[in-house]
This record gives sequence, C-alpha cells and structure tokens, in this order.
Amino acid sequence: MGKARKPVQIVILLLVVLLGGYAIATSVFGGDGKPKEGSKAPAFELLGLDGKAHTLDEYKGKAVVLNFWGSWCAPCVKEMPALQAQWEKWKDQGVVVVGVNVGEDQMTVENFVKMVNINFPIVMDPGRDAVRSYGISPMPTTFFINKKGKVDSIHIGQLDLDTLDSQIGKLVGP
Amino acid sequence: MSLLDFSSDVFIAAFFLYSGSFMLFTIAIMGRKWSGRKPEEHTARWGRIAFIASSLGLLCHMAYFFTRWAGAGHIPVSNMYEFMTFLSMMVMVAFTVMFAIYRKILLGLFAVPISIIIMAYAAVFPQEVQPLIPSLKSIYLNIHVTLAALGESFFAVGFAAGLMYLLRTVNFTSKEKNDRKQQRLVEFTLFSIIVIIAFLGSVFAFRGAGYESIFVRENVTIDSPGQEDSTIERVSYKMPPIVAPYHSEIESFQPFLGMKKPLFEAPSWMNGVNAGRKFNTVIWSLLSGLILYGLIRLIIRKPLGAALHPAMDGIDADDLDEITYRAIAIGFPIFTLGALIFAMIWAQVAWGRFWGWDPKEVWALVTWLFYSAYLHLRLARGWQGRKSAWLAVLGFLVVMFTLIGVNLVIAGLHSYAGTD
Amino acid sequence: MSGRTPLITNTKCECGHQNPVGTVLCEACGKPLDETGNSSENLEMRYDGVARRSQRSNPNVIDLVWNFFSSVKIAIYLIVLTLLGSMLGTIFPQESTFLNIDASTYYKEQYGTAGHIYYKLGLSHTYESWWFVLLLVMIGASLVICSLDRVLPLYKALTRQKIRKHRQFLTRQKVVLVTEMGEEPEEWVGRISQPLKKRGYRVITEGGALLAEKHRFSRWGPYVIHIGLIIFLLAVLARGLPGLNMDQHLAFPQGEVTPIPDTTFYLKNEKFTVEFYTEAEMPEEFRGKKVLPKLYETKAVLYECIADCGDPTRTPQLKEVAAHDIQVNSPLSYNGLKAYQFDYDLTPVLRSVQPELKNKVTGEAYGKFKLEMKNPQRSFEAGPYTLTLKEKYMDFGLNESGQPVSKTPYPNAPAFLFLIKGPGLPADGQQYFYFPKQVDKVQFQQEGINDKLGGADRFLELEVSSMQDVDFSESTAYLNVRVDRAMPFVWIGAGIVMLGLVLGFYWQHRRIWLTVQNGELILGGHTNKNWFGFRREIVSILEKVDMVVDEKSLDNGGGQA
Repeated sequence: MGKARKPVQIVILLLVVLLGGYAIATSVFGGDGKPKEGSKAPAFELLGLDGKAHTLDEYKGKAVVLNFWGSWCAPCVKEMPALQAQWEKWKDQGVVVVGVNVGEDQMTVENFVKMVNINFPIVMDPGRDAVRSYGISPMPTTFFINKKGKVDSIHIGQLDLDTLDSQIGKLVGP
Repeated sequence: MSLLDFSSDVFIAAFFLYSGSFMLFTIAIMGRKWSGRKPEEHTARWGRIAFIASSLGLLCHMAYFFTRWAGAGHIPVSNMYEFMTFLSMMVMVAFTVMFAIYRKILLGLFAVPISIIIMAYAAVFPQEVQPLIPSLKSIYLNIHVTLAALGESFFAVGFAAGLMYLLRTVNFTSKEKNDRKQQRLVEFTLFSIIVIIAFLGSVFAFRGAGYESIFVRENVTIDSPGQEDSTIERVSYKMPPIVAPYHSEIESFQPFLGMKKPLFEAPSWMNGVNAGRKFNTVIWSLLSGLILYGLIRLIIRKPLGAALHPAMDGIDADDLDEITYRAIAIGFPIFTLGALIFAMIWAQVAWGRFWGWDPKEVWALVTWLFYSAYLHLRLARGWQGRKSAWLAVLGFLVVMFTLIGVNLVIAGLHSYAGTD
Repeated sequence: MSGRTPLITNTKCECGHQNPVGTVLCEACGKPLDETGNSSENLEMRYDGVARRSQRSNPNVIDLVWNFFSSVKIAIYLIVLTLLGSMLGTIFPQESTFLNIDASTYYKEQYGTAGHIYYKLGLSHTYESWWFVLLLVMIGASLVICSLDRVLPLYKALTRQKIRKHRQFLTRQKVVLVTEMGEEPEEWVGRISQPLKKRGYRVITEGGALLAEKHRFSRWGPYVIHIGLIIFLLAVLARGLPGLNMDQHLAFPQGEVTPIPDTTFYLKNEKFTVEFYTEAEMPEEFRGKKVLPKLYETKAVLYECIADCGDPTRTPQLKEVAAHDIQVNSPLSYNGLKAYQFDYDLTPVLRSVQPELKNKVTGEAYGKFKLEMKNPQRSFEAGPYTLTLKEKYMDFGLNESGQPVSKTPYPNAPAFLFLIKGPGLPADGQQYFYFPKQVDKVQFQQEGINDKLGGADRFLELEVSSMQDVDFSESTAYLNVRVDRAMPFVWIGAGIVMLGLVLGFYWQHRRIWLTVQNGELILGGHTNKNWFGFRREIVSILEKVDMVVDEKSLDNGGGQA
C-alpha cells in the first residue's frame, strides 16, 4: 500500500478523535444552550421605556444587573425597592441595573414603573426573545454580568437588599 | 353481505386452510414410514397437496386483507388485531418464497404453525374496524408497517429453519454434558411455544365461557397540600383472578372451581391497575402451559425434542443452515428499509424528528443490531451451524418482543389502540 | 484474529510470487500458504485470502490502535454493547420524554428504589451519556477502518486474478468436481464457455484453464453499506452544529401574525380546526365510550420580513412567502423551515372589544370605540365625552393588601379604569371601571365599584351591543417549528445503506475455476452466499455439455457461507 499508508492512518485516527471528541462533548456538555455562570451573556436588542432600542453592548465596560420581571409576579414587585436602592447606590461606580419586562405592553409597564417609583432603565421583551436566549423559566431571575460581559452569577427568585449588595460588590470589586 | 362481513368470513376460511395445510404437512412427513409406501413419493405427493392448501389459505388471507381495506377505507394495519393478522399473512408470504426456492416440505411443518399461532393471537384483540386518528393518516402507514412486517416474517422463517436445524443436529440420545445442555435448551424453546399455545387456549376457553371478575381501586393523589384527588379505576379480568391488582377491592367475582377470591395480591411495584391483570394472565399461561406440556409428555413418553428429531430425517443439516441464513439475508434489507428507514421518514414528516429514542424505535434498532451481529459473526467469523441456528432462534425472540412486548410492558408513542 | 496460525515470515509461494505478511492464499496461484500438509479442509476464502492492510510483522502504537478498530471481533463486541446499552435505556422512560420534571426526585417517586438507582446510574439519559456516544463513535471508527483495511486488498485481488490456479486451491473449495475427461482440454473449455456466458458469467480462458465470474459488484455491498452508515452518522453529528438546527414549540393564536424567534419569518394561524369522529363513524363497541380525533389542522400563512426587521422601534414589513394547511402528517415547508402540528388549546383569547358609551337614564348612545387588550389607545372620544385610560389589568385580582393587580399577563379577566370627562360630569372627571367579559362584570361587581367611584347618580355606562363588536382568537395552535439543514445528508446516508444492502444481499459473487489437464477435469466454485442455488446452476450448466452430475455430490462439505 505504498508510503502513504502511515499518514493515511494517522489522519483517519486523528479525525476519529476530533469528531468523536466533539460528539461526546456536545452530547454531554452541550445541553440546552442556556447561559451558565462564566459563559458570555447573550446579546439582546429591546425597546426601552424611553422609546429607544437598547442593547447589552451599550453597557460595555460596566457591570450589569439584568433583572427579568413582570408586573403580575408578586416577588418581582417586592424586590423592586431593593433594586432601586442599589441602583442609586452603585450607578456612579460603573454599575447599571436594567429591568427586562417580560411579555407586557407599554401601558402596563409605564403604570407599574410609576406605581413602584423606580427610575433605572427598563426595556420590554414582548416577544420573549431575551427570555429565550437567557433560558428564563421562573421569575424573577437576575443575571449579574461583569465588566467583560460574562455571567458572574445567576439568582433565581426574590432578591433582598443584602444579597444584592454583596453580589454587586463582587462585580465591582477588584 | 357487506365487504367487512365477507372479509371476516374469508379470514376464517384462511385459518382453517392453514390448519388443514399444517395437518397435511404433518402427514407428508410423519406418514413416510407408514407401511406399503415409498417414503419420497409419499412426501412429495402429500407435500404438494399441503402446499396447495397453504397457498389457497394465503389467497383467502389476501382476500380478507383487501376486502377489509376496501371496507374500512384504510389499510388494515392500524391496530393490534389488524397488524397481527397482517404479520401472519406476511409469514405465509415469506414461507411461500422460501419454499419456492428450496422446495423443502419440512419447512411447512414449522413455518405454517407460526402463522397459525400469530393469527390466533390476533383474535385476542378487539376486531372492529376503527377510524384512523390523525397521526396514522399517512401513506407511510402503508409502507412502514407492511415492509417491517415482511422483513420480520423472513426472520420468522429463519427462526423456523433454525429450530429445525437444532432438532436435526442435536444429539438426543447422548448423555454427554454439552449435548444435555443443548437438549435442555431445545426443550425449553419448545416449552415456550407450548406456553404461547396454552395462553391462547386459555384466553379463548374463558372467553367462550364468558368469564368475568371485576376489581376496583381508589387512587388518591395529592396535588397540593390539603387537596386530594381520588379516581376510581376498574379492571375487568377475563380469566379467574389468581392474583388481584395491588390494593384493590372486589366488585364482582365469578367463582371458578371453588375459588371464591383471589389467592394473593400483586406486589406493590406492579402499581398499574392493569399490571395485576397482565400478571394474572402470565400465571394462567404458565400453569396451563405446564399442564399441556405434561399431558404431551405423558402421551409421547419422551422429551419433545427427542420426539421431533426423527421427523427431521432425510433433510440435510447444511440445507437447513443455509435456509436459515438465506431467510435472514432476504429479510434484513427489507427490515432495514421498512422498520428503520421508512420509520425515520415517517417520524420526520409526522413529528419533525426522524429519531427520538422512543422505546419502539430503540427496539427496532436492537433487532437490527442483533441481526447485524448475526451477519458479521456468520460472514466474518465463520459462525455457522449450531451457533448460527441459536442466534436465529434468539433473534426471533427479539423481534417478538419488539412487536408485542414493547406494547405490553413499555408504553410509548406506538401504543396501539386496544393493546392489552 | 483467533484461530489463525501465527504470521509466518517466509511468504514466497512456490509459484514464485512474493506475498505480503498475513496472506492466507497465494495472491497469484491460490495455493494455501499457512499449512504444509495435504489438508483437505475447505479453504478460508474471506477477502480471497489476501493480507489485510493492518497485518504487519512489527506493529507500533498506531498500528495497534489501527488493528484494534480493524478487527471484526471488536466490531461485533461494539455492536453487542450498543445493543445492550440501548435496551437498558428502555427500562424506564427517558428524561427527554418529559417536559418539566425534576429528574432527581421524579424517578424515585415514580418507580421507587429501582427508579432511583436507574437515575443514579445515569440511565435516565442513556442515549446522551458519554459511554453511549463513545460506543457510537467507536462503531463509526470501526466502520471506516475495517472497510479500508479490507476493501483495497480485496479490490486488488479481484482485479488481478490469475486464471490457472493451484490444484489444492481448486479441490479445497466448497464446490468441487473432479472427474475424468477424455476430450481435448481447449476444445472442452471452449464448449463450456457458451452456457456459462448465457448464464451471465464473464469467461476468461487460458489454454485448458478457465475462470468464469459474475456479479462481482455484490462483493462491494458491505463496503457500500458501511460508507452509507458513516455518512449517516456524520450527518447526525452535523445536526448539532450551530445554525444547522432549530427546534421550537411555539403558540400561534388564531388570527395573529406571530414572529418565529431567531428567524426573519412570521407565521399567521388563519384558522385552527379540530374534528372528532361522529358516533356514526365509530364502531358500535366504542360509541359513547371513546372519542377519537379525526383532524387537527392549522391553516397557516408564512411571512418573511423584508424591511425594518429586528428593530424594536419599528413595525417590520412582511411579505407572504408560503401558505399551507398544516396537518399532523403534512407540515408547512419553506426553504428548510418546517412547521409541524403539535398541540392546540381551544380556550378563546379576547383580543379587542368595541364598547359603546351610553346614557343609561335617557338611553342616548354617544358612540363606539375600539379597545384593544394589548397596547390599547390611551384616550378615546365618544360624542362629547373623552375617556382616558388610566389603568389596565389583564387578569384582574386583588393582592394581599387588597390592591387591584394583574395575576397573569394573559387576558383572562381584563379590566380597565377610565377617567371620563364631559358634560354633566365633575370638572376633574369621573372614574369608571370596565370589565369587558360578562362573567367578570358579575363576579367583580362592576356596578358596585362604579357606584362607589362615581356616586349613585352616575349616568354613563360602557356596553357592548352585539357579538360583532367582540374580537377574540377562538383557539391557539401549537406548532413545532424546525430547521434541520443536515437532513438531506441523513437521507443520502440511509439511501446508500439501502443500495449496499440490496447489492450485497440480493446478488451473489460467483466464480468457477476449471482446469482440464492429464485427462482430468478439476472444477472449483466459490460464491459468497447461496451455495444451494450456485450448485444448482453448475449442474444445469454441466448438463448443457452433456455431463450429468448430482447436485449434492458437488458439495465438498463444511465450509463458508
């Protein structure tokens, strides 16, 4: 079979290892494609309450607290004051709190924002695009995204002031 | 007379023709040693008559199939009854093909009864024509089911020939350890067939007698704290309950031979209300199988294998080996096309995924892998004769589990209406 | 491989041909090389006795790995292990069959200890587990290497066949005929060529020797099958590549153009229909006991966004690209995007109402306006009156502190709070609560609330006069939207497998070697399967040259299938 035999063998075995490794890796670790701690936060482009489109890229270089909420979700309502307080505390230190409203119309969102008296940026996700790419199932869910755009931690359920404070501290800290 | 009535009449005619054909095959083989006959001539003549009878039966069977198709407006393979009657027809087709190639009268003695047993098993299920549910309305119902059944039928003929090979070659007089083991395994295979016959016998006997006992069970499920949901499940036994469903009450009980209540209750892990009933059927089949087997042993006074062994005289073991292999080799591509490729195409069209690891799909794959292993062992490793015959026998067991066992034991997307 | 004699070093045959290590039968004359005695056993004709590529005298690591995968024995072990593994996965339902379960507790609750062990062993996701995928990968490797290792040498052997073979090669075939022959060798060989050709054999003669061969392509069947399987496996693997695969279950309320996420497509469910078989269509035994569905159908129109797509501040511009009545076995298909009927929900969903502002004392009507459930207008004019929408609740309810809230984002019990200004009302307006659904009106006591808000002498009322003023989506169709760009390759692979199966199993490679010398005819025959038919064919060919031979006497016993 001539001199080509050895290289052919090596190439085929290498291909087997590569493709096989890929097959095993995708089936075992691939899973659902939801972002996990340490992975890159998915991009989004959503309409803000200010009438402008907002993307995650806008906040590059800042730590982002991305909070998914709905006006009908009681724990979401309850954690709003804590979010507002932390927004006021950290906004000058490169931290931005962004609320993503899930599936409601502008009027509901506006009324809600007025009622609970918050002023951090709010974007709306009526088509649930960001919900899908962030793999949100229960609400509220909060993503803590660091300055490099990586997910630092994910909190599912109602946040209280202290956890929020320590999480943000971790994001900003050295 | 409506088409459907005609259909069921010719089906019964087919059943009797097959049974007659089986008897004629028996005469052709067993009658060789009758006095005043030339064995070859006798076998050839009676064998021809038997084959004509089986072919007439197949014609009637096809008449049943096509008239039912016309009468129902869809191909009659849409429930367990229809599928089993179709499978038995395909077994006869496969037998006819193999008989046309090899002209071995003996093959009829083993292949025809397989078809008869499957036909009888079909009659266990409700026989009404049912309208098609949306997921079955597809041309792929016709292609997938028919091809899969045809492939499996060739495996059935392979099983028959494999069993014949074993009966032909196992040394039934030897006391040597390995021969004893082979004898016992052959005997166990035959016993299993007796159990299936006994199962059918008891189903039809109790059905004829109109036996029924009913159990009820209250199921309490707690949905959320403080909220209980209770449902009452009823299960009707058509055979005297030796074993009652787990945690159940008797609603009505028809005494049988002095038995006024179930002898015991199903263990807790059989928690489905039907599991107890199925377990009861298994017990009855085993019991009546043992009795039937015992009776046969009493009459013939030797193991079944040893009794059948002389019937195999005059057929070449190598020919049987080749028929086994050939049947499987013919069936394998058909099975691949029908049970895997068209199954995938249909799944893609109906569900949008060609493969979903549904139990039925997995078992079709298991069957395919099994026969792939068989072919590799035979072609590349030289496994022939004894080992190959055992694989053919075992392979058919896998086929039967795929067809019936999966529906009975494991639920999945393929659960046909009326499977129980 | 077991049962083989150890590899011998002297591989030169007596005919002068130098054979590679591992050769069983001399590549040229066919003389058995591995034995010295005059054994009469059938020859090992697999791969025509040539050396497989992997057989070398000094294997290194790569050779060892290669040899491992090139072994059929290993391939069979892999097949059997995959078979057993697949079986294990069917004992309990797989996790993937459920949409929302917590597997860590589900198996224990449902199936007891056995279920818990099943889960702990990872068998609840057998087909995604590393060992199962590894088995499939190894089967793939084995398919490639086994085939490569055999097909090239076999190809060479079959294209370079010698016509005159060693006597031992002929007499140790499975089909053998040795008989006296009085005729002139070349003449007889010429005579038998005719019936052989008629039977489809390619015949080559060389003096008193002859080689007749047909259906050689059947030998490539197994390799074609293996190539098909590799393409199939690679295609399955490619399905997982990003961008090639999409799988979403989406809700499409009737009458709404709904975007399909991650695509530029929108789909409108124009009408969803579910039909059941009537009593008359059912067999008697089922009447009144069972309900069987007859049809699930979504009349769907697919739109593609052509401008202003993905810009949340603008309305996308759509163009119709496809329309199809989606049924269970008939998906909508457009450029690789497919939409399958999956599920449905017959709960009507309110979209908008057109209430009329009336004076309940005089009966005077001031005019209608359209009130959308989603994104409603903020103010409406009705005659001299102005209605400003202050609050809106999609699913009205009261929270723990008694304040009105929306319990869900779905319009199950919509409620609206208006501020009405105009003649006969206070200057700062009068508040009015409106429940479009009659049930809610009664349940939440609209009258009572409004009496409290506007006083007992209020005279305005919002009313819907006819059903034409109510717009709702009658039902929702759930469709499974998929893109699977690798599918064509899956089918190509499967098609090649089928082709190989048909080639390999429905034809047989048959060869007949003949030598007439010293008043003796030696015939050897080989086929890769169906010896029975082969023997019959030889008998009928010999009949044509007036030789009567018994079929059974050709059988040299034992041997290969």
